[in-house]
Amino acid sequence: MKKNTLSYKCQQYAMFAGVSTAAFVAVVILPFVYGLYLTFTSWDGVSKNKPFVGLSNYTATFSDTAFWQALGRTVIYSAISVILVNVVAFALAYLVTRGVKGQNFFRAGFFIPNLIGGIVLGYVWKFVFNRAFVALGTSFSIGALSTSWLATTGGAMLCLIIVSVWQYAGYMMLIYVAGFMSVPKDLIEAAQIDGCTPNQTMFHVTVPLMTSSFVQCLFLTITRCFMVYDVNLSLTKGEPFNTSVMAAMHVYNQAFTYKKYGVGQAEALILFIVCAVVGVTQVYIGKKAEVAA
Amino acid sequence: MKKCSALILALLMALSLAACGGGGDGGAASDAAQDSGGGSVKITIFNSKSEIQSQFEEMAAEYSKATGVGVEVYFSSDTVAAHMATRYASNDPYTLAMVDAKDVYSLGAEHAIDMSGEDWVANTQYAVSVGDQVMGFPVCVEARGVMYNADAIEAITGTPFVPSDYATLDAFKGLLETLVAGGMEAPVGIMKEDWSLAGHFLAETYEEQPDVFAYVDGLYAGTSTVADNEKFNSLMDFFDVMKQYNYAAASPIAAEREVSEQKLAEGEIAFMFGGNWDWSMINAYDYSEHLGMMPVPQNLDDGDNQKLVGGGSKFFFIDSSEYTSDEQRQAAKDFLNWLVFNEDGNKFLTEDCALVPAFSNIAAENLDPLGASVKAYADAGNLIDNYNYLPDDHYSMMGAEMQKYLAGQEDRAALAAAIEQYWASTTPVAR
Repeated sequence: MKKNTLSYKCQQYAMFAGVSTAAFVAVVILPFVYGLYLTFTSWDGVSKNKPFVGLSNYTATFSDTAFWQALGRTVIYSAISVILVNVVAFALAYLVTRGVKGQNFFRAGFFIPNLIGGIVLGYVWKFVFNRAFVALGTSFSIGALSTSWLATTGGAMLCLIIVSVWQYAGYMMLIYVAGFMSVPKDLIEAAQIDGCTPNQTMFHVTVPLMTSSFVQCLFLTITRCFMVYDVNLSLTKGEPFNTSVMAAMHVYNQAFTYKKYGVGQAEALILFIVCAVVGVTQVYIGKKAEVAA
Repeated sequence: MKKCSALILALLMALSLAACGGGGDGGAASDAAQDSGGGSVKITIFNSKSEIQSQFEEMAAEYSKATGVGVEVYFSSDTVAAHMATRYASNDPYTLAMVDAKDVYSLGAEHAIDMSGEDWVANTQYAVSVGDQVMGFPVCVEARGVMYNADAIEAITGTPFVPSDYATLDAFKGLLETLVAGGMEAPVGIMKEDWSLAGHFLAETYEEQPDVFAYVDGLYAGTSTVADNEKFNSLMDFFDVMKQYNYAAASPIAAEREVSEQKLAEGEIAFMFGGNWDWSMINAYDYSEHLGMMPVPQNLDDGDNQKLVGGGSKFFFIDSSEYTSDEQRQAAKDFLNWLVFNEDGNKFLTEDCALVPAFSNIAAENLDPLGASVKAYADAGNLIDNYNYLPDDHYSMMGAEMQKYLAGQEDRAALAAAIEQYWASTTPVAR
């Protein structure tokens, strides 16, 4: 049998990847293309007819200041969260790979927040910020804690960041733990024999060999932070004064609450592009920096 | 041993898959459905009042047993519009859907049948018509006003509380001062939720205009003004008084609805702006006996301080699409007639669900205190109509502005300017 013909290759492809390709097309490509089509209509989400309106949804998007504010807010939130999540996760991973007593217990403990759904997590922390902190603040008369942070513009963002760090640090820690474990012991020993201080070993041997962990963690945190919705919904709901509405929430409101499906879809597309550009750039740069042991 | 554990693992995975499949076809995870089986015709009902879902499910089972019509009741915590959108997108509309008035206007023309010929039409003044067709069956009457806890007030004043004595803002303020002097440090609660501040309270500044339609048209056109409007200022004067005596004045945006309702129920505060739907929260607490609702106190003597604002609330419409059969439509009509003309149907509305009936032939004796107040005002013709054509983003955008005002980050002039600016830049809602 000839193995170089087109039909043979097609057959092989269909056999090994046909099902997953079909599924991918059905649940990702088709909705995406359909969504793209909807950005050119003024559909309200329910109606049978979808009037074609050309590019007017895109002009509406560009003049929708609330959307750009939400996007800007999301960028700030993501930048701070991504840095904090990774710093905390890396530190935790370092601590639980040093052979501390009961480190498996700690690993499990730090990971657990990630197992709680974002909605539940939001409600739990809402209670903490609104009641627990305030109760502490009033009984020990700590000024900064005596009123709820969630009621102030900057405070609500801070709360969102704190909760995100708490949620994702454990998950990213696991990836960093795997990174730490994958660094060959002999290289560490060789570095120590050659006279490296612990700091030098860390930054010149361990960290470069863990680049792939960093790439993965950064990619995961960046995309998740840009798409944040569940915690946003249950923790702040956009309040106070709609100053904690993140991009995804704004898109949802436009499409479903304000019944401007076309505009919402166009804004979702822009959010997707921003997210994709940031994510792909980051992976590209990260991959280049990777070194082999 | 190994084989055994592999088998168990495989079984577990298969089971979890099956579980996923079972959950998946329900659509959103928050959807709850109650299938009560029944005869050959099956209708689906969408219920958008979460507090009566369990009563609805029980009723569906009994109704099926009695009539042989299968009834499935669904609930979703999504917004009504968003949930209806998903059902229509999947070509699986409800036979009978309970929605808000504005949804009947936006969906009716395409999705609802005309019910003008039904017997119940003559018995209600709250049905929603689109064009000249009756499309919305009113589920209940709901109204907004100031909720009070008479027991808490009387404990301090020592005299029976008669709401009509405090119809003017001056008298109301005097009472608040008496309460403060009598030991109730902050007698008022304010809900900071945007739907309450803008959707319910700010909306009254439109609804109490002499001609709400002309006023709103003027807002769109930029010819009506807000800042120097008598009614706006009158109602905001009341809001300022509420702000002043708010128990959460230090951080009003942090006030949680649950906490405020509990304080009102237990008499820790005496007043809060709200509506009779708040009963579903109040009755979760150890409430005192004499609660009620009164109109918003105002110094303007145009009679509005004698009236609550409200009317029909939540409307059933019957689907007109090809996905619903004529038998199903007939069964749905029968069900609506059963609600209005059958004793069990009446009992379901007024006793099981404690709703204020929207039909003149239904007596209601055992209403909750807030509902009883609303019924008294409705029966006396003292309800100012809802304005059902607010833009969809009004409650959110203006809610944010009202929150700023509540938190003291914006003065009345800035609030008025924001309201005028919002209307002028919004596409008019057709009506």
